[in-house]
Amino acid sequence: MTRAEYEFNVKRKDDGGRVSYSRYMVPKDRISTVLEGLIYITENLDQTLSVRYSCRMEICGSCGMEINGKPRMACSTIASKLGTDKIRVEPLKHYNVVKDLVVDIDPFFEKYREGLPYIIRSDDGNYSSELKQTPEEFKEYEKYSMCIKCGLCLDACPIAGTDPDYIGPAAMAGVLRYNLDSRDQGSKYRLEIINGEEGTSRCHFVGECSEACPKGVDPSFAIQLLRSQGLKHEMAKIFRRE
Amino acid sequence: MAEKYIDYETDILIIGAGGAGLRAAIAGFDSGVRVTVVTKSLLGKAHTVMAEGGIAASLGNLDSKDNWEVHFNDTFVEGVYISNWRMAELLAREAPDRVYELEQYGALFDRTPEGKISQRAFGAHTYRRLCHVGDRTGLELIKTLEDQVLHRDIKFFDEMYITKLLKKGDRVIGAVGIKLNSGEFYAFRAKAVIVATGGCGKIYKVTSNSWESTGDGLGLAFNAGAELMDMEMIQFHPTGMVYPPGVRGLLVTEGVRGDGGILLNSEGERFMLRYSPKKKELDARDIVARANYAEIMAGRGTPHGGVYLDISHKGADYIKTKLPSMYAQFKDFAGVDITKEKMEVAPTVHYQMGGIKVDPDTTRTNVEGLFAAGEVASGLHGGNRLGGNSLADILVFGRRSGLGAAEYTKKATLEDPSKSDIEGEIARVKSYLRDDGRNPYEVIEELSSNMSENVGIIRTETNLQKALIKILELKSAAPKVGVRGDLKYNKGLLACLEIPNMLTAAEAIVRGAITRKESRGAHARSDYPKKDPNFKKNIIYKKSGDEMKLELRPVPEMPENLKKLVDPEEY
Repeated sequence: MTRAEYEFNVKRKDDGGRVSYSRYMVPKDRISTVLEGLIYITENLDQTLSVRYSCRMEICGSCGMEINGKPRMACSTIASKLGTDKIRVEPLKHYNVVKDLVVDIDPFFEKYREGLPYIIRSDDGNYSSELKQTPEEFKEYEKYSMCIKCGLCLDACPIAGTDPDYIGPAAMAGVLRYNLDSRDQGSKYRLEIINGEEGTSRCHFVGECSEACPKGVDPSFAIQLLRSQGLKHEMAKIFRRE
Repeated sequence: MAEKYIDYETDILIIGAGGAGLRAAIAGFDSGVRVTVVTKSLLGKAHTVMAEGGIAASLGNLDSKDNWEVHFNDTFVEGVYISNWRMAELLAREAPDRVYELEQYGALFDRTPEGKISQRAFGAHTYRRLCHVGDRTGLELIKTLEDQVLHRDIKFFDEMYITKLLKKGDRVIGAVGIKLNSGEFYAFRAKAVIVATGGCGKIYKVTSNSWESTGDGLGLAFNAGAELMDMEMIQFHPTGMVYPPGVRGLLVTEGVRGDGGILLNSEGERFMLRYSPKKKELDARDIVARANYAEIMAGRGTPHGGVYLDISHKGADYIKTKLPSMYAQFKDFAGVDITKEKMEVAPTVHYQMGGIKVDPDTTRTNVEGLFAAGEVASGLHGGNRLGGNSLADILVFGRRSGLGAAEYTKKATLEDPSKSDIEGEIARVKSYLRDDGRNPYEVIEELSSNMSENVGIIRTETNLQKALIKILELKSAAPKVGVRGDLKYNKGLLACLEIPNMLTAAEAIVRGAITRKESRGAHARSDYPKKDPNFKKNIIYKKSGDEMKLELRPVPEMPENLKKLVDPEEY
C-alpha cells in the first residue's frame, strides 16, 4: 500500500543564521505540485516558513529552489513524478539566503543588467511604424528570449558556485538574444563586456545550465555562439586597428 | 512608542511594477522628474507576465480596413455602453503608437512574411487586431519594459509592501511601506503617487490571476478618499483549466479560439452555434463564459466539470507554433496532448473592469496628488473588457499616468507627513504579530468561498445578501487575525495586511451587484435578466466614515463626432 502523505523536509535559516530542517507531512490528495505542498504547509502547519512565489504557472520565475537536490521551479514540479514520497526542499545554493527558501536574487539581476539587455540603435526611435523583421530573422533569436529570470541556471552552474564575478549563463543568453536581433546594432558593446576572464572564456561547457533551464533557452549553446561572435569581433578590431 | 523607519524622498512614487507601473515610470522619468517604483514582488514577476493573447491595436497589418474608429466602436459597444468614451477613444487612437514604441524598445512579435507585426483574431474584435508573440505576450511586454527601466536611473524597491497612503489635508503626500525581505519600515515622501497595483482576482476561489492580485490599490486609494467605480463588473474568462486541482482557474488563452479552437459539450455538440450563431466561439467573453456555464449547469459538462475546447484539428505543427505555452501547460500539468486530445475548460475569474475612478487624459483621481492606471483604474472597459484591451490599456494609460503625474509634480511641493501617522501605521502592522491571532488564511478561505458561491457568473438577490452578511462578519473579524514569527519575509503577516484590501474589493463588488438590478455585460442576474435603460449608469463607491456609500451617476455624454462611430444601443 502506498502512503497517503508526502514527507517534506525543508531547510530553514533564521535571522541568527541558524540552519535546520523541518519535517512536515502533507496529504497527497491535497496537492499536485511541490509549490502547493509548501503553501499547504504555510497555511495549515507552520506559518513561519518563508517561501517566495507568484504566478503558479512557470511564467514569473519566482519559486526556484532545490528539490531533491536539483534546481527546479516548485510550481511546475509535480510531486507524484519525483519517484519518491520524500521531498527535500532547499534554497538555491549559489545565492545568499534571506530566510528559509527565499534567496537574495539581486546579484543575478545585476549581472543580467551588465549585458546591456535592450535594443541599441544609432537612429532615434520614431514610433509611427514598426521596424521590419521577417519570421526567419525572428526565429534566429526567439529561443533566447524565453528566459523568465528564475535564476536556476546560475544555481546549476559549477563556475558560478566558485566565482561570484562570473557573468553567468542567463546574462550571456540575454546578450545573445539582443546580438542576434536583426533590429539591434549594439553587438560590439556587449561583446566587449563578455569577451573576457569573467565572460565566455570562463565557461567550461558542462551544460548544467541548459539542463536546469525550465524554458529550453540553452544558455550553454548561447555561450558557444557568443565565443565565436567574440573571436570575430576581436579579429575585426585587429584589422581595423582599433 | 517611537517606531524606527527609513525616510525616503522622491517626486513620483509608483506602487506596482506590472505593465502600467513600469510604463508610467518610463514616462515619468523621461519627463525629467525623479521616479521611484515599489512592488510587493520582484521586478518582472507581476501578474502582467501571465497575459497570453496579445495587445489590441488597429495597425491594420492583416486587415487593412481596420482603424482606430472601428476599435473604438468595438470597445465601447462590448463595454455595453457604460465605458468612459474618452478613455475608449484614447485607447483606440494611441494603442498603435504604443505598440510601435514597444516594438522599437525591442519586444518580440510574431511577424507576417513581409516582416510586419502579425495580428490574430480575438473575441468581438471586428478585425484581426491582437499583436502577439506566441501565447506569452505579457511576459515579453514586461521584460521589455523592465529592460527599459533598468537602463534608466529609476529607483526600484522590490518586495516592498505599501500599507497606507499618507495625507496632508486633502492631498496624498506619500506612503508607508514595509520592506518584506528585511522587515524594515519606510516612510516615502512624494509629490505624486501612482497606484498601479492590478486587480483583485484572489478574492475568488477559482481565478486566472496570480496569487498577488489582492486589490491592494483599491483599499489604499479608497481609504485615502478616492472614488471607485463599476466594481460589480467582474470578468469571468470563458476558458480556465479545471484539472488537476492545483492549476484550477489557470488561463487558457482566447488565442486558442482565435486560432480556430471550438467548444463542445459532453454530447459532442458545438453549442456556441446555438448561443451565438454569428460570432460563435469568438463572441465577447461575457457571452461565451455564460454559455459554458449554462452547458455545465444543464448536465452537459465534462468529467471534471467543464466543457471541451478542441483545436486538435489544426494539427501538431500549427498548434506548437501558435500556442507553445498552451501545449506545454496542458502536457506538463494535466498530462493532456492538445494536438491530439480535447482540453477541459470552465469559466474563471479573470479581470476587474471597475476600480479607481480617474480622469481619462491624466489618470488623476478625485484626491489631489493621487493617480491610478491599469487594472486598478476604471472607466475604459465598462461592463465587459475585450481580450487584448488590457495590455493596450496598461501601455496607453500607464504612459499617460506617468505624464500626468510628472506634470503635476512640477507645480507641487514635497510635504512632511505627520510623525504620528507614520508611527501609528507601523504599530498597526506590528500588532498582527501575535500568538493568539486568528489564522489569516482561514479568513481568506472563507471570503473566497463566499465570493465564488454567492457572487459568481449568475447572481441573485438572495445570494448577494448572503454574501454581504458574510463579508461584514469577516470585516469585523479582520482586525483579530495574526501570525507568529517576525517582520522579515513573513508571508502570513503579508496576508494579514492584504485582508482589509480584499474585503474592500469584495464589499464593493457585492454592494454594486445588489444595486445594479439588471443584467449588463459581465453582471448577470437571474432575477433581473434584462438590460434596463435606467441603469445605463456608472456606480460610484465612496468612503463615508467607516461606511461605503454608493451612488448612481450618468455615463458621460459622448460628443457628436464620436456618436457617429458607435452602433446604437438596443434594449
